[in-house]
Amino acid sequence: MSIINYVNKEIQFKIVYYGPALCGKTTNLTYIHSQVSEVHKGELVSLATAADRTLFFDFLPLNAVVVKGFKTKFQLYTVPGQVIYNATRQLVLRSVDGVVFVGDSQWDKMEENIESFKNLEENLVRQGTSLDQIPYVLQYNKRDLANPAPVHYLDFVLNNRSMRAPSFVGIATTGQGVFATLNAISRLLLQKFARENESAGAKQQSHATPTTATTALSGIAAAAARR
Amino acid sequence: MHAMPILTIESAERLLKALEEYLENSEATFALILDRGGAILSQQGEIPPATDPVIFAALAAGSFAATHELALRIGETEFSALHQQGKRWHVLMTAINDNTMLVTVFGLKTTLGLVRFYSTTAVKRIAVILEHAANEPRIPIDLGTEATDASHEVFVESFRRG
Repeated sequence: MSIINYVNKEIQFKIVYYGPALCGKTTNLTYIHSQVSEVHKGELVSLATAADRTLFFDFLPLNAVVVKGFKTKFQLYTVPGQVIYNATRQLVLRSVDGVVFVGDSQWDKMEENIESFKNLEENLVRQGTSLDQIPYVLQYNKRDLANPAPVHYLDFVLNNRSMRAPSFVGIATTGQGVFATLNAISRLLLQKFARENESAGAKQQSHATPTTATTALSGIAAAAARR
Repeated sequence: MHAMPILTIESAERLLKALEEYLENSEATFALILDRGGAILSQQGEIPPATDPVIFAALAAGSFAATHELALRIGETEFSALHQQGKRWHVLMTAINDNTMLVTVFGLKTTLGLVRFYSTTAVKRIAVILEHAANEPRIPIDLGTEATDASHEVFVESFRRG
């Protein structure tokens, strides 16, 4: 879950890019890293094999908008897509807040897309959570390759849960759809965070005297001012 | 109860104090408290030059998680500590509880034995603080429409290179 630090006034979110091997997860992060200004990003770290295939994960920390004085920080991870690395994928999914599922639009990759999506669902269940609880978006990548599957077909095979997730077409090598995807998942995370805060606030008010919340917040503001 | 602690000013200060005393006693250089997903909950001391703590934390969490899986594969429930030895710098990672870990960076000024000895006490103290923090009520942050507006871009144009 997101981590709130009242001292540094930060909210941290962890986003994991998931999908079959060679679908473009690392390319998404590489493009984002190439486009964001230095002050808003950290180093892109890739734990890859000599052949540049993701072995453990890629990691990119980003600073985003300041909302009501709180800096929002997003930590982007990719998982290794190859089937044999399932134990690693489970490790990377730990404490995940949101998921970007990157699908490969090529017809001959449909089975791998479906398997990877099922694998995501299974791995989330192992962590005691599910796609019903975690915001996620889909990106149908590699639209530039010859004869890609139609978007409605990709939606039919990958976006067929009771609640449809936002989906985007992408060509990660040129950046098409990359920021639209990132903005969508980040927005969903902030919206979820805001909803949870509203309900936490409502619960507190119903359990406490009317002044408690204000006092607590004033205390934080005062303590922060002292620092 | 929340799965992860909420870092109010008070709990953050308690964590900092615990780390400060730990570093003073063990003569280690730098210590981090992380959640096992790689997020930093608290940090204290002087990090070696040109080291980004956020990246360091992500890699440490990955390394510790991989070690945990290795332990399971040979029938252990967990390797509770992991030591990595360099020429000038060493790293000791210690489990605090199921969700968090303590990472200590130390140099030639101290020894692994001393750091391990004080880390045992520090971990117990930090575990109590975190448990208390996890039970603290969540103080609502009103993000208002800035966060919930559907047309809002989190990574706006100004974040891109000029």
